[in-house]
Amino acid sequence: MPPPLSLLRPHDVSSGSLAVALYALLHHFPRTFPPPPPASPSGHSKASLMDPLEMQDDSKKSNKPKYSKFTQQELPACKPLLTPAIVISTFLLVGILFVPIGLASLSASQEIVELVHRYDTNCVPLADKVGFIQDTKTDKSCTRTLTVPKHMKNPIQIYYQIGDFYQNHRRYVKSRSDKQLRYKDAAHLTKDCEPEVYGADGAPIVPCGLVAWSLFNDTYTISVNKKAIEVNKKDIAWQSDKNKKFGSDVYPRNFQNGNLIGGAKLNESIPLSEQEDLIVWMRTAALPTFRKLYGRIETDIMENDQLTVVIQNNYNTYSFGGSKALVLSTTSWIGGKNNFIGVAYLTVGGFCLFLALFFVVLYMIKPRTLGDPSFLSWNRCTLDYPN
Amino acid sequence: MKRFVYINDDSCRYSYCGNRISNTKYTLWNFLPKNLWEQFRRFMNQYFLLIACLQLWSCITPVSPATTWGPLIIIFIVSASKEAWDDYNRYLSDKKANERKIWLVKDGIHRQIKAQEIHVGDVVWLHENDEIPCDLVLIGTSDPQGICYVETAALDGETDLKTRIIPTISANLSVEQLGKVKGVVECPNPDNDIRRFDANMRLFLPIIDNEKCPLTINNTLLQSCYLRYTEWACGVAVYTGNETKSGMSRGAAEPKLTAADAIIDKLTIAIFMFQIVVVLVLGYFGNAWKYTQGLKQWYLMYPVEGEAPWYDFSIILLRFELLCSIMIPISIKVTLDLAKGVYAKFIDWDEQMFDWETNTPAHSANTAISEDLGQVEYILSDKTGTLTENKMILKRCCISGTLYGNDNGDALNDVRLVNAISSNDPDVIKFLLVMALCNTVVPIKSNDDTVSYKAQSQDEEALVNAAANLNMMLISKDSSTAEICFNGSKFRYELLDILEFTSDRKRMSVVVKEGQIGKILLLSKGADEALLPRACPGQQIQKYLEAVEMYSQLGLRTLCLGWRDLKESEYKEWSKNFQEASCSLDNREFKIAEVCHSLERDLHILGVTAVEDRLQDGVPETIKLLRNAGINVWMLTGDKQNTAIQIGLLCNLITSEPNSQLLSISGKTEEVILRSLERALLIMKNTSETKDLAFVLDGWALEIILKHSKESFTRLAMLSKTAICCRMTPLQKAQLVAILKSAGYLTLAIGDGGNDVRMIQEANIGVGISGREGLQAARAADYSIGKFKFLKRLILIHGRYSYNRTAFISQYSFYKSLLICFIQILFAFLSGLSGTSLFNSISLMAYNVFYTSLPVMTIIFDKDISETTVMQYPQILLHSQAGRLLNPTTFCGWFGCSLYHALVVFFITICAYSDEKSEMQELSMVALSGCIWLQAFVVTMDTNSFTYPQILLIWGNFVAFYMINLILSAIPSLQLYTIMFHLCSQPSYWISMALTVAVGMGPVVAFRYFKNLYQPSAINILQQIEQSNGSIQASGNLESARANLTNLLTGSRKNRDCYYHPLLSDSAESARTY
Repeated sequence: MPPPLSLLRPHDVSSGSLAVALYALLHHFPRTFPPPPPASPSGHSKASLMDPLEMQDDSKKSNKPKYSKFTQQELPACKPLLTPAIVISTFLLVGILFVPIGLASLSASQEIVELVHRYDTNCVPLADKVGFIQDTKTDKSCTRTLTVPKHMKNPIQIYYQIGDFYQNHRRYVKSRSDKQLRYKDAAHLTKDCEPEVYGADGAPIVPCGLVAWSLFNDTYTISVNKKAIEVNKKDIAWQSDKNKKFGSDVYPRNFQNGNLIGGAKLNESIPLSEQEDLIVWMRTAALPTFRKLYGRIETDIMENDQLTVVIQNNYNTYSFGGSKALVLSTTSWIGGKNNFIGVAYLTVGGFCLFLALFFVVLYMIKPRTLGDPSFLSWNRCTLDYPN
Repeated sequence: MKRFVYINDDSCRYSYCGNRISNTKYTLWNFLPKNLWEQFRRFMNQYFLLIACLQLWSCITPVSPATTWGPLIIIFIVSASKEAWDDYNRYLSDKKANERKIWLVKDGIHRQIKAQEIHVGDVVWLHENDEIPCDLVLIGTSDPQGICYVETAALDGETDLKTRIIPTISANLSVEQLGKVKGVVECPNPDNDIRRFDANMRLFLPIIDNEKCPLTINNTLLQSCYLRYTEWACGVAVYTGNETKSGMSRGAAEPKLTAADAIIDKLTIAIFMFQIVVVLVLGYFGNAWKYTQGLKQWYLMYPVEGEAPWYDFSIILLRFELLCSIMIPISIKVTLDLAKGVYAKFIDWDEQMFDWETNTPAHSANTAISEDLGQVEYILSDKTGTLTENKMILKRCCISGTLYGNDNGDALNDVRLVNAISSNDPDVIKFLLVMALCNTVVPIKSNDDTVSYKAQSQDEEALVNAAANLNMMLISKDSSTAEICFNGSKFRYELLDILEFTSDRKRMSVVVKEGQIGKILLLSKGADEALLPRACPGQQIQKYLEAVEMYSQLGLRTLCLGWRDLKESEYKEWSKNFQEASCSLDNREFKIAEVCHSLERDLHILGVTAVEDRLQDGVPETIKLLRNAGINVWMLTGDKQNTAIQIGLLCNLITSEPNSQLLSISGKTEEVILRSLERALLIMKNTSETKDLAFVLDGWALEIILKHSKESFTRLAMLSKTAICCRMTPLQKAQLVAILKSAGYLTLAIGDGGNDVRMIQEANIGVGISGREGLQAARAADYSIGKFKFLKRLILIHGRYSYNRTAFISQYSFYKSLLICFIQILFAFLSGLSGTSLFNSISLMAYNVFYTSLPVMTIIFDKDISETTVMQYPQILLHSQAGRLLNPTTFCGWFGCSLYHALVVFFITICAYSDEKSEMQELSMVALSGCIWLQAFVVTMDTNSFTYPQILLIWGNFVAFYMINLILSAIPSLQLYTIMFHLCSQPSYWISMALTVAVGMGPVVAFRYFKNLYQPSAINILQQIEQSNGSIQASGNLESARANLTNLLTGSRKNRDCYYHPLLSDSAESARTY
């Protein structure tokens, strides 16, 4: 409901126009508040007493400011104070709320079965790791066997985890062209993609930029108890990214055909919106250690099952000393396994309960009357004048 | 340098500027460059401009340049449009003045032209009540005596009518001749001295008269005065446009900076230093990381051959500079300006500061300095019209030994006096006659036959009015006769001579001839010491001396009246001497005085009048309250010492002997004065705090002290809570303000007249009383109020709240900027010190402009303690006076709080959103939400009273944050696309938010609670008192306190009636002569 213009008094507009607008707005605000406390004795009552007097003079136009609770700063207000009762009960309440939430989170987190296997050290020869990984000719497959500690219910998420990889580096995070990913005709929009812009033939790379160029290219083939199981790599990316961020008519071009090969190559016949590994990779991580979804296993894995993973160890984390790990994890309402929330809630809840107790005890030992005028500095004869 | 003005001569009329007045600061063409220049003179604006320019360099900018340019342009547009609007209003008022129609006479023809078309040398024809368009030399009026009246209120603030007279040379010109007159006026170049005009004039036509006629200020009509009670007047334009006396004295007042502003500026610079240190450290480590780690990160594809090292180094440095630039809140200026605008509006709107009598609301002309009001340390107040009403009323009188008005304090209603009049008591009748006739008052008859009086002196007006009330009414007066109406019958008196008042003679007399009888009378009035010695021998004057003594102890202004019958022969002889003396060329004044002296002798003393300049309503209470609030009040007046001291007593400025001591600094010679100053200083130093010490000095002493020992005086001024300075010139008043200001005190000057303007402009805060002496002071002031008593509300309520609110707003602005900046810095350590911004451009901009600016604005409604409590415990002002709420210590608290909150937000975010959830956009939004949640709770924590706009804005903003981000999340082209939907559907998001708030606010609440309970500040205690007592008892207390106060006052007044404490204990040198 816009306030009628007549409420804006023209002479007010000069400096405090915002104030006027506020004033007008508040005037039209329904009074849903409880009735105000009795006004100060010298305030409104005097004004209303004198109003009739003013009426006679009205022909001379009174300059008296219009009375309203807003302009007189007399809006009804509640003034909560930090009294012992309020503070202690607040802490108590927070403690009582936080402890169960913490317990629930912690148990949810504990129920999640998570299998983390770091393989970067085991899948390379000890000497010259970088040389090994950079050699395109050698076979880099590496078989690892894991034992499942607990029953894992489907769906089981497969992540790859990379450590000390700065996807959030300024140089890296900027080096992409969202327009190019989305629109067919935008291949030339490569302004931000430096330094990975043009292919060997001088035509723009699609998708350009360091992010796409450094696409992760380790692959995992997983079998349970020697029996290969299917890893579902469909729908690992956000649906919204597939629909709106990556074009279904944009095909990779010129990708990874320069002198330096970064990461994975892309099938040029599949549109970007179907290149889910790329889409997942392009959602850059904010932290230097991160996990990205590789796929899902849609069958349960029993306790003590033997998992055999054949890893194509292609991705170079060796030159900067980063780690790589394979992660299999079940999910719950809280997301992946993360004890932090649960522990933090329990700590905070406990601390609040402790504080509440502490304040109660303190109050019993040293009770204080609130609002004792004798505590006023000027009543204690030590006049604390400035300077 | 001189200027020659040829009257009615076209040949030279264009050599001086026209009469176009221009008060505007800008023109249409120079507005943009000039305004930009003005705005970018501020350090903050320069800083932001630099940042904005750096952001255009895409190589280093972490976020889109819009984050700085947007707000910067908004800020610029807001301030520029305010300036433009003000200037446009000035232009409009100038235009109105310039296009006013004015009559011009040229070659005998009257023409009407616009005021701006007047040129130097033109003859301007004015009618009654016209505003004078430029400075004129008067050459003709409708009055046969060549007199006209002008009201100079707009120029010097004095509301009485001034008489202006035509120069003798043009006295004989007829109306026709005036239209054709030619001549030359030789006058000095334009200056701003409105009391001086040393020029001369020669007329060519109609008579060639080569004699130069001297001109003084009395022959001029100055711009912006009004012609009154004169049918017409005409004059030659000598100064026009901006070169007039009033135009030259207009100066653009320097914008005032409040103490809070100064602290904010200092804090800004401190933060700027801190920022530079942070940037240098981060830049160093950033480069170190790049060369130790970064080059190994193949996916970053650092060029093998790097650029020049210094270039590389500075790139990372500049990136961090840009990243950290948000540390200085860009919004602080706009937020504060808006808040200050609202404070000013609250003052304008305040109904309790509306003056019913004069129909004037309080007004704050300067919207920028409200918080200074809450930090005032010294109030320097004018007396007449500020503390007193400047409405003189005859309250008591003593006629031939009988004291009238002693019982009821009002002689006009004293039954005995009324009876004496109706019984035609000859002494009383004579007394009234002197009151009615012996003056220079001009009676003005209005249309409905009521008579009003215009007088140069308020005392005379009071006497004439009193006489009129006692049936002796002066109904008309011209230069030769006066008509009196007594009990319905009219009497004519021939005014033979006026023996004028001079400050040496301290008396004035008139010689009149009674119309019917032809008896010649000398009527005199004057100060007691000037008149009583001239009483005829044998008359008992002791009773009059006693009456004078008693009246002046009551703070009344006394005059003695006397009269004498003159014999025809005596008068004739004297008259001859008088004429001679009047015509003498050298030593005229002395000779006239001699002659008058010879006539004013053997007076029959009729009695004593006592005129009261009543204290304004509520002045003593206000002063007491202000002094309780720790404000030192000084009274600076042009009045006499005795009156000033009496008024000081009456209005609680000083108390009588046992509790206080008044030190007088005076003396006849420089040495004596300086010695008494040293003595006063010594006493001041050695007296205990409980005793109120005050000093009194007069203008002459001040002049000498300022010349010889300014330092000791400054020390005295700092020690003295009260001072009475009398006989001050406007300049001296301003000097006193300057001394206190230079000692680092925050001063407030309050006055009502033109003589207070300089002091008002000099002080940190100028308050004008828009009262009887015109509006000049009010116009020059930052605040104008109708009555002195509103000052307490202005300072204790508006000033204090404004200070509290500004303290919060400014520190909070830093808090929120630091909060988000610390998070960025912490994130830098996780992103390889490369200068990545965790937050996207939209979030950053909106964070500063919307999410955090709106809630903080709610504090403009906040009241820490109620108005009643503040009035009850005015000492609480000490808090804001000492700057307890905004100083480096409190700022460190806020700084620490923001650091803590940044750590909380950051670590909870990266722990809760680690591993597979560590998506950049999501993480950034979680951190941002954490900040928003925390800031909402911080504002809530620091709000003392919640009114619905506050609740609405704080939590409405909170909801708006989610609304805006949900909407932004629906736009596919943004990075934010779907992020908020994702987050809002995750329980872990909400759980993290709750955790952030609990961890962030828990310690704050605990700390506050602990402090509140075990180390409460005065404000805390008062809040608790309010809470526990409820408002009813509080107001009850106040009522009883008020009653007490009134009792005390009336009681003390009664006491003083019969018994008087000599106040000047130190009065060996005090010049009290009765």
